[in-house]
Amino acid sequence: MSEFLLDVREIGISFGGLKACQQLTLQVPARGLHGLIGPNGAGKTTAFNLITGVYQTQTGSVSLDGVHVHHLAPHQIAKAGMSRTFQNIRLFGDLSVLDNVRLACHLRGTHTLIGTLFRTPMFVAQERAIRERALKMLDVFDLADLADEQARSLPYGNQRRLEICRALATEPKVLLLDEPAAGMNPSEKVALAATIRQIRDRFNLAILLIEHDMGLVMDICEHITVLDHGTPIAAGAPREVQNNPKVQEAYLGEPGAVL
Amino acid sequence: MSALTDLIPAHRPSLAQSLFAGVVVPSLCAIGVGTLMQFGVGPVLGDYWTSVGVQVGIAVMLAVSLNIVNGFTGQFSIGHAGFFAIGAYIGAGVSYYGALLIWNDASAMAHGAPLVWNNSKSWLFGAGEWLMIGGAILGACVAAAFGYIVGLPSLRLRGDYLAIVTLGFGEIVRVLLQQTRPQVFDGAELREMSAGELVIPPLGGATGFSSIPKYANLWWVWLFVAVVVFFAYRVKVSSTGRALLSIREDEIAARAMGVNITKYKVRAFVLAAALAGIAGALYAHSGNVLQPRDAGFQRSFDCIIFVVLGGLGSISGAALAAVALSIMTEALRGPEPILENWIALLILTAVISIVAAILRAVGNRGWRITLLMAVTPLSILLLGLASKFFTDATGINLADYRMVVYALLLIVVMLVRPNGLFGLTEIWEYFGPERAKKPPTTPPTASQAAAAAPTEGSRP
Repeated sequence: MSEFLLDVREIGISFGGLKACQQLTLQVPARGLHGLIGPNGAGKTTAFNLITGVYQTQTGSVSLDGVHVHHLAPHQIAKAGMSRTFQNIRLFGDLSVLDNVRLACHLRGTHTLIGTLFRTPMFVAQERAIRERALKMLDVFDLADLADEQARSLPYGNQRRLEICRALATEPKVLLLDEPAAGMNPSEKVALAATIRQIRDRFNLAILLIEHDMGLVMDICEHITVLDHGTPIAAGAPREVQNNPKVQEAYLGEPGAVL
Repeated sequence: MSALTDLIPAHRPSLAQSLFAGVVVPSLCAIGVGTLMQFGVGPVLGDYWTSVGVQVGIAVMLAVSLNIVNGFTGQFSIGHAGFFAIGAYIGAGVSYYGALLIWNDASAMAHGAPLVWNNSKSWLFGAGEWLMIGGAILGACVAAAFGYIVGLPSLRLRGDYLAIVTLGFGEIVRVLLQQTRPQVFDGAELREMSAGELVIPPLGGATGFSSIPKYANLWWVWLFVAVVVFFAYRVKVSSTGRALLSIREDEIAARAMGVNITKYKVRAFVLAAALAGIAGALYAHSGNVLQPRDAGFQRSFDCIIFVVLGGLGSISGAALAAVALSIMTEALRGPEPILENWIALLILTAVISIVAAILRAVGNRGWRITLLMAVTPLSILLLGLASKFFTDATGINLADYRMVVYALLLIVVMLVRPNGLFGLTEIWEYFGPERAKKPPTTPPTASQAAAAAPTEGSRP
């Protein structure tokens, strides 16, 4: 049993000769805010895909709340309590905003074909509960007014928020955010930082965050892991990482430069 | 925020409530639809168009069932006729050989109900019709089992590859049906057959399965159309339906949200196959000789055309396309059936126009599509007249070119509306309160938004 909620140990994957991610170890405690940074192509999203089961890790282990999950399929990992957003937003564009969130509530229920076809009391109760919960979730993210809109028709910022809302509707213990600030202007980023903290406090979960924007990461993360060329090169508190010569080299190309 | 499982108990309806809303009301609706078609529409249509009406109903069932796989789940299956044929042959086998074993006579006249056959002594339903229902249920179960088998490879395959597998399935069914033994016409002969001989069942082989009692009238067929549409709609608006749609939209995101895509793809195939099996069993009892080519790709493609044309994911769209295309292939045979029914077509135009005018007055946006629907019967009538004059003047019979017209129409629709006529939208959603496409100038309150959304209670 680990003291950490999310305990990733030495995971890695190679695509042919390309070592996309090697020997990645990171630990996130309950209610922790952990950042995963690195230059373009460093393997951050690959690491996310390994942790969430999109790719099977070839080495090491991932455990969530003390249970090994690295051999499970993505939907089982989601059920175990891990949820994520995507770098390039992956909403269900043809479905309504409400249906996107209702779908995410799906995995906390049981759905039988007989129940669906004949509308058993259990089925009806569950559908109503899902609807109630989804509307509440939308309310938290100020999206309730847009519940009937097609997800595709939302402006970009709302799509980002809807994706986070959808991820939270699965009732996760750990939330993985893949570049949530991509494409946002500075004031939106400040608002996002506040939102992320609020999410952590309100839903009582740990957050693992990929981000390019240094200001945002340094501002909100308690702990940071830096990846370069698929391998972790530094880890620690924001200040330590910032002063690490290896990190400065990875980002700026020469040691000793000021980040 | 409370967890989902904590919210469930408060919403639980009583057993009586859910029985009423879940089973009793839809059953009564289905019986109502069947009765309306049999006693309201049937007498107006006359014998020929009544038999077309039966085939239209079967086409609707096929379109709606295929929509579950191709439309909701986005898995391109082109072997739907295989499930249809399995249901058809099993349904036919049960009622034909059942009647042969029980009564030594399989004609519908002896064991049908007074609903159709006035000389029957039975009340409401004949014993033979219960055999048909039993056969339909068995056919649906066997088709569902095959749906499970075909659904399994679909876990690994997508797009073109899945299409090839399903096409192969249809062809396998067709070839296996060709290899069955000749039909047995005598009960005594059937009893003498050994179990070994029955391993290859006597389903008629390449010459077809004939003399199947003709029980499937408008009543039975449209009752089951209503049942199939109810089932498909309930799936669409449930968690299961959202899971299927999420697979179609984005598999990776669906998995990340906890959707077991393996389970749901198989579930879609099983349900679609079962419903196609029911359609097949009814088709077998509609007065046709069953032939192995009923499992062939021609029929599968007809189903795909219904779904693609009507809208991938729109139950009413696919059903409407099935109705329109089935009637059109008949109507294109010549202008006579159109011109004979000119009064009905004019009345239809008038009725729909009045509805459009009322909707316009109320300020609803549904009037535009209603007007379009009103123009349709009128244009059919005009087309009929035009083709009659053309044939009279030139001596060229346009009916010979009907498949060209049909194909041209498909091409035009695909160019104009590549997502099908209705996309994911149901027709009745056009008539609902107007949905704001852009953020409204005065944003509605949360309670208004909740009120505008369909509530659980309003669903059938």
